[in-house]
Order: sequence, then structure tokens, then C-alpha cells
Amino acid sequence: MSRTRILDTLRAGLAAAPLSVPEPPARPASLAVGPDAWALLAAVLEPLDVRLRVAKNPAEAATHVADIARARGAASYARWQDMPAGLDMDAALAGLTRLSPDCCQALAQVDLGLTFAQAALLDSGSLVLIAGAQRPRSVSLLPPTHVCLVPRASLLPDVSALPELLSRQRGPSGLLPSCLNLVTGPSSTADIELVLVRGVHGPGALDIVGLDWDL
Amino acid sequence: MVLTSTFTPRNFREQSERASHDATLRAVLDHATRYFMGKRGAALEAFADRDTHFARARSARLTALSRLPDLLEQLERSASAAGTKVHWAADAAEGRAIVTGIAKGCGAKVVVKGKSMVTEEIALNPALEATGAEVWETDLGEFIVQLAGEPPSHIIAPCIHKSRADVAALFREKLGLADLSDSASIPELTLLARRALREKFLAADLGVTGVNMAVAESGSVILVENEGNIRMSTTCPPVHVAVMSLEKVVATLEDAADLLRVLPRSATGQKMSSYVSVLTGPRRADELDGAREAHLVILDNGRSEVLADPVLREALLCFRCGACLNSCPVYQTIGGHAYGSVYSGPIGALLSSLLLPAEDTRDLPFGCTMCGACKKTCPLGIDHPNLMLRLRERVCAGKPHFIGAAHAFLASHPLAYRLAVGAARAVDPRLDLLPRLPGLPSGLASFVESRQPPGLKSSFSAQLRAGRKKQGGA
Repeated sequence: MSRTRILDTLRAGLAAAPLSVPEPPARPASLAVGPDAWALLAAVLEPLDVRLRVAKNPAEAATHVADIARARGAASYARWQDMPAGLDMDAALAGLTRLSPDCCQALAQVDLGLTFAQAALLDSGSLVLIAGAQRPRSVSLLPPTHVCLVPRASLLPDVSALPELLSRQRGPSGLLPSCLNLVTGPSSTADIELVLVRGVHGPGALDIVGLDWDL
Repeated sequence: MVLTSTFTPRNFREQSERASHDATLRAVLDHATRYFMGKRGAALEAFADRDTHFARARSARLTALSRLPDLLEQLERSASAAGTKVHWAADAAEGRAIVTGIAKGCGAKVVVKGKSMVTEEIALNPALEATGAEVWETDLGEFIVQLAGEPPSHIIAPCIHKSRADVAALFREKLGLADLSDSASIPELTLLARRALREKFLAADLGVTGVNMAVAESGSVILVENEGNIRMSTTCPPVHVAVMSLEKVVATLEDAADLLRVLPRSATGQKMSSYVSVLTGPRRADELDGAREAHLVILDNGRSEVLADPVLREALLCFRCGACLNSCPVYQTIGGHAYGSVYSGPIGALLSSLLLPAEDTRDLPFGCTMCGACKKTCPLGIDHPNLMLRLRERVCAGKPHFIGAAHAFLASHPLAYRLAVGAARAVDPRLDLLPRLPGLPSGLASFVESRQPPGLKSSFSAQLRAGRKKQGGA
């Protein structure tokens, strides 16, 4: 059986030539997440053509989301069921048709997908999206515009924070969530003549609304 | 140059010779390698504590190799616990049989694929097509080379050898877009590919991808990309198969995070690729999307044998950032196709030599100038030149070549050296006669024929002295 043969060969190899691993240097200290965090995030997102709008309260957040929908010319939207408390996104997008995110076929018809991030990483500008019952993966993937809400408390320094974040999301059986996506800027390619194009298979536009209050 | 998939590592010499005379190819390679090196250089310049991050990344990969059999078993346990079906493939044929079996089992008519070197390595596409399924490469560059019937030419940018007009002509013919003009812009061409492939994603029964890392402690598969085609391939079709070469396992999520810090920066100069997916098992019962059935194929195909060699196993540290390709003066000159296998450049010459039959790859380790640019570039500290030497030794079966032995003798006997070189300079400065001398071993003839010395009328040391004098006088 291949499994046994592969494992036996690997064990024989390591027995013949043991491999010891020197202790690696300590991981460098992470960036501090301080009062300038929004400014840092905005700066890292800017070269990715992503605009960060920071809202002081739910009303401002609603205005920002409505502005984005207008600017992107969206006529329909789908959203995660699960949204930070106190935000009425359906009221903010009242002029648009709300479509249900049942499946990829349905989402392929939607202009704007609205999600929220469980974390955002200041080092790279990455949004951390964790899929779940009320949080289908394709809402952030199929529509041409993706709008993501980022709560203030979710700001983290860098990808080294991911293992702990994932561990906190373990289910009762100890399993990690089925899907975590880091989303860093719009979908992009430079495959033809190394010319950068935004929006190949995923959204060509990514807009972020920072929620600058304690949820 | 006519590009077909008939390239083979066996013809590495001829293919390199031809490629190095192709002016268009040289221009494209020059542009592409400079582009990648420039982006990478800028990203690393701004990368605080870079060397510490590199050392941690190397350590994560070394840890993986040092515990490889245990970690693969742990991965199998944790992935199975998450509901992933784990398969083991000893070689390419078994890998193909497993994936085609899954395709038949789910009645797949349309298969979408994310970019993956390892599925190229096992020639999966023709096998899937033989089941009657349509198979679509969905990475833009891979899609283009698939339409053209060519192999990819660069790990990160598979179609860097094609111009926008080439792509327009290809789409006109293969996508039935009769009106498409040669002057179509690159965003237009990208949009056309998006539309064509969007239909396929929505119709697909099966998504097949590679694996950037698999995490033993959690059973997760990690996929890194920029376009979103891999997310589509794992989100829309009901079944997902991830094919992983066995060395891609890492012990912990922490190790994976350390590698994610380095991989995108070294590959494309990005702080993070547009999309990183961490997938653990199939979708849960209460979820609306994602594959309902998840498979992980652990492929050996010659790798397990390499672990016993303390020098050569360093090649298994590689996480395919492609930086060594761009830094290599040989790759910069001949490009990817000349190597005649899926893997090109310094790491490609090493991997092909280790994974393919020895008689097909004997020339590959000699296509190296030993300049060490690859070693200097590699964020994981792989010492490619040292591995090349080891492979050369293996090709010669440990026995010194006549030329090597002769050179070793002359190099350690200065007087003999001067006499021999002096005689050669006096009689045959352009090395025209030497190969024709009767009674000489054929190795010497081919050695001399493949080298074109500059005028040897005066010795190098004499030329150097003269040059210094001139510089001093100026």
C-alpha cells in the first residue's frame, strides 16, 4: 500500500540521515495597535486602490455604505445575515434590491456584496473573513464590488495573530471554521504583459468602512 | 521559437541553445525578470526584521522535513476529523487514478482548476479529459497557455512569453470572438476571460487545486493566489480535490503564519497576496456554499527517496516563490520552456533532476554558472549551487571525468599548467584543432566544441597586467 511505503521510505531516510533543526530566532515584536491604527490601515490600503472610510457612529456607517453603493453604480446587494449589532444596513441600502445569497448562481447576479471582518491586519491591509452559517464565502467573491465593515476592536498587527484568532473560533468539536479568507485588496492579475488589472475572477472593487466605536 | 509541449529535459542543451538565440524571448525575459526583481527588491527593502523572518520561515520548513512522516500522519488524522477524505499517491499514475476516480464518482462533466505545478507534474489534465470531462485552467495565465496548447513558462507568470496581440488572436480563434481586434486592451482581454470562465465556475462539478501548505495540527489546506480563481474553484463546485506534494506540510498554524509573512513578499513583492484561503474540511451542514466534499491527495512521486540525502533534501524546503528563477542568469537567458519540464530555473533544475529518471536529466545540473544568485535570493536559504555540484557528482557516478582529472592535475601543478596552456596558445589559440586531434577521448572533443574562447594569443594574467598598467597610466 502506498501510504505505508511512503511513510516507511521517509522514516528510513530520516534514520539514515537525521535532521536536527536549530532553534529559530524569536519572532520580531509586532506593530503596536494604537490610536493611529486607522491611519496605518488607510496608508497600507491606498496602493491597493482600496479606500477606507471611518465612521464614528452607526448613522455615519450607513451613510458611507450608501455612498459606496451609489459610487459603484450598484442596483442590487447581498449581505451576511450576521452583522455587527446596531447597524441597519438594509435601511442604508433601501434603494437597492436585496438578493438572497443562497448559492453561487444567485450571487453571480448581485452587484454588491456586504460582509464584516473578524479582523483586519495593519501590516498588510488584509481583511480576515470567517465563513459560517450566516456568512457565505461567495458574498465577498462573486459580486463586482465587495464592501467590508471593520470594527475598531478587530484591528490586529499582522498575520502572526492568526493562529490565536482561529483557535478562538474553534467549534464545540475543536474543529476550526471550514473557511477563513484573508482578503488583501481587489482581485488582481498581471498575467498579460505584466500589466496590473483589478478584478479578474473576484471583485474589482473593494471598499472598507471602519466602525470607530465600541460595538 | 515554436513552443510545443514536446520540450523535454533530455534536450536541455539544444533547447537552451535555440532559446538563447531567440531575440524576442530574450527581450520578454529581460522585462519580466526585471519586473519581478524590482517589485521584490522594493518589498524586501521595506520589510522590517527581514532576516529574522527569513530565518523563522526556514525553520518552519526545516521542522516540517525533520518530522515529515509524523506530520503527514497527523495531517491525515486531523484532516479526516474535519471531514476531508485523505488519499496517498506513490507516483504520478496513482495520483491521476485517484483524481480521475473522484471525477467519475461525482459524474464530473466540467472541471475547473486553480494554478498548480503539481497537477502539471502528474499530467492530470489529459487524464481528466479522457474521462470525458471538460477541464479548464482558470488562472488567467494558465488559461491562456492552455488555449494555446503550450506548457507554462514561469511559476508565477505562466504566459509571460505572450503579447497582448497574441492573446487577442488566441481568444478570437478559441473563444469564438470573431470581432476581437488585435489592439484590444489588456483590461478588455481580462474581462473576456472573466466572462468565459465565470460560466465554467458556475457549471463546474469539480474543483481541483494544488496546495501551498497543509497544517498538520488542524488538517487545514492553505491556498495563496491573486485572481480569486482558486477561491471560486473551492467555493462553487460541490467537490474540491487538493493535490499536495508531500513536503508541503507544516507542523502548526504558527509555522504557516511565519511562511505567509515571507512567501508573497518574495514571490511578487506583495505584503500579502490578494487571497489566502485556510480551508478545514468541507462546508458544514448549516453553510450555504463551499465544497460539500473535500479530498486531499498526498503525492510522493520520488520525493520520499530524497529525504535520505542530507544535501539534496534541501530542495524539499522550497515553497515555490519563484525568486530564484528571476535572479538566475541562465533562466534570464533561456526562459522556462528550455528546461523541458514543469519546474524551471535553479530550483527547477534541482527538482527535475531529483524527481525524473536520471537518464533524462543528466544535463540539467550543468546548466548553472555557480554564480550563487539563487542562493543569495532564496528566502529559505537553499544552497542551490551546492546541490548542483552534488548532482553533477551523481551524474558522473563519483568518477572524475577525464577533463576534470586533467584540470585537477594541471591546477595543482603550476609549471605543468603554464606549459600546457602556453602550448595551446602557441599552436591552437581558438581551440579549432584540439577537438579533431585523433586518439583524444570524445568527452574532450565535446567539451572543447561547446566552448568558444576569446583570443588566447596572450595569457589572461598577461592581459590583466597590461590592463592594470593602462588604467594606472590613464
